[in-house]
Amino acid sequence: MEGFALLYSGFVNSFTTVNLVACFVGALIGTLVGVLPGLGPTATMVLMLPFTLPYGPTTGLIMLTGVWYGAMYGGSTTSVLVNIPGEAASVVTCIDGYQMCRQGRAGSALALVAMGSFVAGTIGILGLQFFAPVLGNAALSFGPPEFLCFMILAFVLLSNLSAEAPLKGALMIALGLFLSTIGITPMDSYPRFTFGSEKLMLGIDFLPVAVGLFGVSEILKIAIEKYVKPVVNQVRLRELYPNREEMRRSIGPTLRGSILGFFVGLLPGPCTVISTFVAYALEKRISKTPHRFGHGAVEGVVAPESANNSAVMGSMIPLLTLGIPFAAPSAIMLAGLRMHNVEPGPMLFVTNPDVFWTFIAAMYLGNLMLLVLNLPLVGAFARIAVIRPPILMPIISLICLVGVYSVRNSLFDVWVMIAAGVVGYFLRRWKYPIAPFIIGVVLGPTTENSLRQTLLMFKGDVSLIVDRPLSITLLALAAAFLAYKFMAPQKTYALQVEEGKSL
Amino acid sequence: MRRVYRKPETFFVLFLLVLGVGISTISWGYGFGSLNKPGPGLYPFFIGLAIAIFSLFILIAEFRADPVEPALDRAGVTKLVFMTLTFSLWIVAMPLLGYVAVTLLATYAFCKIMKLEGWRKPLAVSAGTTLFIYLLFDHWLYIDLPRGLLG
Repeated sequence: MEGFALLYSGFVNSFTTVNLVACFVGALIGTLVGVLPGLGPTATMVLMLPFTLPYGPTTGLIMLTGVWYGAMYGGSTTSVLVNIPGEAASVVTCIDGYQMCRQGRAGSALALVAMGSFVAGTIGILGLQFFAPVLGNAALSFGPPEFLCFMILAFVLLSNLSAEAPLKGALMIALGLFLSTIGITPMDSYPRFTFGSEKLMLGIDFLPVAVGLFGVSEILKIAIEKYVKPVVNQVRLRELYPNREEMRRSIGPTLRGSILGFFVGLLPGPCTVISTFVAYALEKRISKTPHRFGHGAVEGVVAPESANNSAVMGSMIPLLTLGIPFAAPSAIMLAGLRMHNVEPGPMLFVTNPDVFWTFIAAMYLGNLMLLVLNLPLVGAFARIAVIRPPILMPIISLICLVGVYSVRNSLFDVWVMIAAGVVGYFLRRWKYPIAPFIIGVVLGPTTENSLRQTLLMFKGDVSLIVDRPLSITLLALAAAFLAYKFMAPQKTYALQVEEGKSL
Repeated sequence: MRRVYRKPETFFVLFLLVLGVGISTISWGYGFGSLNKPGPGLYPFFIGLAIAIFSLFILIAEFRADPVEPALDRAGVTKLVFMTLTFSLWIVAMPLLGYVAVTLLATYAFCKIMKLEGWRKPLAVSAGTTLFIYLLFDHWLYIDLPRGLLG
């Protein structure tokens, strides 16, 4: 009953003007980002960070999650109407969604996607609401060795799931961890890699690096690429009625996609993208008419879109219960919460339960807002998809510049952002994943603290780790995964995820 | 035959290899400590080592692989250089001329680099962006941005 009382107080807290506006603005911007090919949810969340600073951590968290969540909703619109995924988690939706559009069922596809996303979002929030506090309580008994092993397992999985070449993923994590060591060490106040520079004593700030890598590099990429104007199929409000047969066929895929997506969301890496591929493959496998997939099967549209929405909520669990982000957007959220001096992790449920429960309540409202926003405005969103980059990118460039400068009034930060942007552009070109780098930067200090505390605890005898069942299990999982990767035959996956849009 | 463009990546990985070795060497100087009393250099030492090892393996794979990356054409290089220059000039000029004037000019420059035709549309985008930035940062968020000589 205590959970319901906390949820009730969460609803009371979320019904403040600022939180409702934050939720709406986040959902609206997220939908726009999802619709517009170009900037992905991660880049947008980074850009939104400075704007969350004047408000509290809860408002910031609500706004950022609204963006991520809204992008999952919006991404399907262009997939169905234009055959261009607004973001990577909607790539699969193009396959059957656009075929439905060609058959004159675009309105029906969009309505079913919106309803499926709403159901999936609700299931995801329910999962988060029930699992997160339980896991958070369990995590209270974890010590530094457990956290260290969790991070080792996360790094192993992340490097393998985020990149075509796992070594590139691993290299990016290591570079991110290195960047976090610049500055004065918190444990013994020793300056490292500062080379006498006062600016480097406090370390490299996260925000300019993230804006550069996700925002500026994407702007440069879009500026350099040739633009092909998409042809948008129009849809009217009165066409948004699926027939009875389509409704019946979408119930099962929505529920299966929602549950599957939630659990895939717990994996490190581009969970929202992976969830769509897995959900599509599952539906095709269990279908009595698999030949219809690729020719406008409603199951092939609804299941992936439900999966990516619930995956967002699943991926919030490791962030909120352990303080370990498994995906780039949750790394941005961690950075955002730290800016507000809130440290997610097991103690969150003890020290700041209001943050968690207000967030949960706001997400229920946000999910409803997205449904209301997306159905009637689908035609308008489709038209936004054709805004040309020469109009949009200059605006975003200036928001990046002024946004980064405004946080600390530091021109040095803006230089860091530009350098990170140019490096990020080439990293994308050479297919180095950026998400593991950012996660490395965010988790660097925690990893070092956990390592040093573990060594102190064990008095240097690392073999004592066998006495910690959870730690040894996590290490065994990491080793087993690596062994499988080395021994399994090499497969080339068709999943070509565009970096930055992927996570 | 299609032109290829792999050398910069090879140099980049080579740079990372040297960086990894450098990090480990510098970290050793910070004091490695011991396993039961780790010093500030222990953790970055192993990170540097990891960077060097991963880079070495990628470098070997690079030499073995067929070069497939298409070249960045001249127009692409020009755009990249001009975009970076505009970003940099905003930083240099902003404290002197103030954010309003520099934002207007930088937006116009970005529009032209990205080939927004004519002068009316770029001017409208620049004016709109500047107004938006002014309202957002100055009026809504109360952030004191440099106004400079023209501010």
